Amino acid sequence: MEEEDHQKVSDLIKELVLRLLSQNPTSDPQPTDPNSADFANSHRYAFRILSSRMTPSIAPDAAAIAESIKRRLATQGKSSEALTFADLYSKFASKTGPGSVNNKWAVLYLLKIIAHDKNSARTQLLDSSVLLPNLSDSRVSSRKQKGWENGVLLVSKDPENRREIAFREFVNFVKEENEVREEVLVRDVLYACQGIDGKYVKFDKTADGYVLSDLVKVPRATRIMVRKLCELGWLFRKVKGYISESMDRFPAEDVGTVGQAFCAALQDELSDYYKLLAVLEAQSMNPIPLVSEKVSSENYLSLRRLSVWFAEPMVKMRLMAVLVDKCKVLRGGAMAGAIHLHAQHGDPLVHEFMRRLLRRVCSPLFEMVRSWVLEGELEDIFAEFFVVGQPVKAESLWRDGYRLHAGMLPSFISQSLAQRILRTGKSINFLRVCCEDRGWADTATEAAAAAGTTTRRGGLGYGETDALESLVDEAAKRIDKHLLDVIHIQYKFKEHCLAIKRYLLLGQGDFVQYLMDIVGPELSEPANTISTFKLAGLLETAIRSSNAQYDDPDILDRLRVKMMPHGTGDRGWDVFSLEYDARVPLDTVFTESVMARYLKIFNFLWKLRRVEHGLIGAWKTMKPNCITSHSFTKLQQAVKLQLLSTLRRCQVLWVDMNHFVTNLQYYIMFEVLEVSWSNFLSEMEVAKDLDDLLAAHEKYLHSIVEKSLLGERSQTLCKSLFVLFDLILRFRSHADRLYEGIHELQARTMESSLPSRDKSKSRRQLGDKSSDPGSWIGEGRKALTQRAGEFLRNMGLDLDAIAKEYTSLLEGFISQLPVQQHVDLKFLLFRLDFTEFYTRMYQFVYNFLNLDGVAFF
Amino acid sequence: MDPEAAQKARESLELAFQMSNILDTGLDRHTLSVLIALCDLGLNPESLAAVVKELPTHTHPTQPQQQRRSTDS
Repeated sequence: MEEEDHQKVSDLIKELVLRLLSQNPTSDPQPTDPNSADFANSHRYAFRILSSRMTPSIAPDAAAIAESIKRRLATQGKSSEALTFADLYSKFASKTGPGSVNNKWAVLYLLKIIAHDKNSARTQLLDSSVLLPNLSDSRVSSRKQKGWENGVLLVSKDPENRREIAFREFVNFVKEENEVREEVLVRDVLYACQGIDGKYVKFDKTADGYVLSDLVKVPRATRIMVRKLCELGWLFRKVKGYISESMDRFPAEDVGTVGQAFCAALQDELSDYYKLLAVLEAQSMNPIPLVSEKVSSENYLSLRRLSVWFAEPMVKMRLMAVLVDKCKVLRGGAMAGAIHLHAQHGDPLVHEFMRRLLRRVCSPLFEMVRSWVLEGELEDIFAEFFVVGQPVKAESLWRDGYRLHAGMLPSFISQSLAQRILRTGKSINFLRVCCEDRGWADTATEAAAAAGTTTRRGGLGYGETDALESLVDEAAKRIDKHLLDVIHIQYKFKEHCLAIKRYLLLGQGDFVQYLMDIVGPELSEPANTISTFKLAGLLETAIRSSNAQYDDPDILDRLRVKMMPHGTGDRGWDVFSLEYDARVPLDTVFTESVMARYLKIFNFLWKLRRVEHGLIGAWKTMKPNCITSHSFTKLQQAVKLQLLSTLRRCQVLWVDMNHFVTNLQYYIMFEVLEVSWSNFLSEMEVAKDLDDLLAAHEKYLHSIVEKSLLGERSQTLCKSLFVLFDLILRFRSHADRLYEGIHELQARTMESSLPSRDKSKSRRQLGDKSSDPGSWIGEGRKALTQRAGEFLRNMGLDLDAIAKEYTSLLEGFISQLPVQQHVDLKFLLFRLDFTEFYTRMYQFVYNFLNLDGVAFF
Repeated sequence: MDPEAAQKARESLELAFQMSNILDTGLDRHTLSVLIALCDLGLNPESLAAVVKELPTHTHPTQPQQQRRSTDS
């Protein structure tokens, strides 16, 4: 049996080989010769194969195999065939008994393997990208002889093969869509991020950005991603544009040191960025090293990886672009301030970046501050510093020479610090220019050493505002102290102030007295007849005869007479004034306007003095022992009475006026001048710098002006006061006349009673006196009495008029005193009216006369 | 063989042929019948499939004429 089987097998194998060889389409067309060598070869080969594998590798389960075949058919998309196959298999399997196939599983397995081999052989011949292989032209022609087209029934519906053409176009379309590979796009994006146009990604002016041309076919997701990455390119372009623009403007000296520093800092940041881009470009060529060999690796850099890498540079570049936008029109300190505002950020990355940038940007500014504070030098070609100087005369150097420019003040330097900086530099310049002092250089080095930095460049940086503050403070302290020392010791500021007080504010009493005595008669002349030269000589005399001669000659040198500009009708009294010449550097304190105010006060005080002087003069003539009652015994009783009453009234009025003037004088001298002076002295002690001194002096002067009723708000009071003064002077002249008349009368009466030996003497005396034609010489006693009576009556009336006017004016003046809001005059009021004599009197008078009027108390 | 068996065999062959067509194996009836017979005789179907795959492409150029060897062992 075995032999039979074997024989059968070999016969069958022979048969099989024959069939297979004849089937082969590549063999030559003539029928295969079973005895040919080829055949024998093949036969042997077949046998070898068949004997090699004796046992199958899978389980002999026909149903399972059938299932798997069905499944494979279904996945291949041939579901109807799968159903048919199932049907056939069930029929096939149902056939049992003789004549049927016993190893059904073998048959099925055989079919399966053959089919699989056939399929894999076929797919290897096809192009991998073609999706619809069954419709490719090459295939169509070769299998025409079979009825079946590779298992697909071809039913030709369109004779013109329109479907085929459509499908072919679709295939081409798909091919094109995948044309632009990701690596090319990555490379283009990298170019775009350096500002260069790539193959597909170009800069579009209208859209203002890097865009992927619409003609290029990429999936929408890729397009969006490319656009996001190209934002970095846009930002880069903006920053680079600013830098190159600024560098173009450098020679035009338009940009300024701060701007230059800013560009340099940006360029450094960009060089970091370039490094990153270079690394990325190198990486973009390398494939990823993968563990498994089966999958073909792509390039390392995909668009997604690029977006991860670009996250940090994008933040930085965005910052730089924002700063560039902000700083396009700014310069100097304003630019530094604007950048500083952006540095107030919580993100540590941003914070660190801004700090680096600001350090570089602010270094020129800090340099300028340092050189200003330690040397007083203003090296500012581009007008970037917040201290600006202008050329002025030496005397206004302190006040107007330098000022702060608020626009250029960066926001990290506070207002008070800026003031201190300004003052320190100003002091150094002041010392150098006005005081001709060289000692400040040492103080600068000391200050720097104390603050821990050096006087060389580059000592300070941004972020060290405290260090800057301490340096400025140290420098300010020392320089201010030095300046004050110079002012006080070298230029004797205090002494000059005292001298001004003694001479201009009439502090030196004896000198003023002498001066008034000497200059008085001169000044009664009209103003245009007085010569300044003569007055200067009189001033010298006055100085020499008083205690003022022991004063410092330098001070006395500066005291002069000044005649103010006058119109016609002015008397000397109105235009006379003294002047004190304060030279550099003290004229910073005693400027023109300050001296004008001193002048005003002097005028007022001088007028007051004159009134006082006048009253004292009147007193001299009113001395009672000049008029002895015995000389009037000859007169009639009525005349005597009249005389006495007139005299009395005169005296009463005099006392009234004297009381007023004395107390006013006292008030001015002590309450106003001395008090202000002591305040000023104490403030001078504590003043730390020249600004403080100026302020103290200003306050001193202001208080004097206000309290002596010369201020603007006391105009009415002042006017009434001056009217009072005029009245008092009129009284003086009246009193003079009265007493003159009485003396004449006395002389007359004495003459008539004198023994004859004196008559000649007295007549000679009288002869001197009586120059007027209306004299009484030679008249009788009766005429004398009549004359005297008339004279006295006139005088009495005048005095009455004066007294009434005086009373009303004084009342008006006193009533206004308590209602003054801006200056405290209660001391003056108290002095003038401490017994409330006047107020009660006025009250009484008004109540009596039932006058409604001025409201007081 | 009796006609019933022959009929059955024919039908089986027909079914197998249709199945093979569905699977697109490219075998014709005669070859298929030989293969089925061989399978029935117990030969390994994998090796048979290998033969079917390899043999049409296995053409040797001029080989020395060799004696046909008998498979009798």
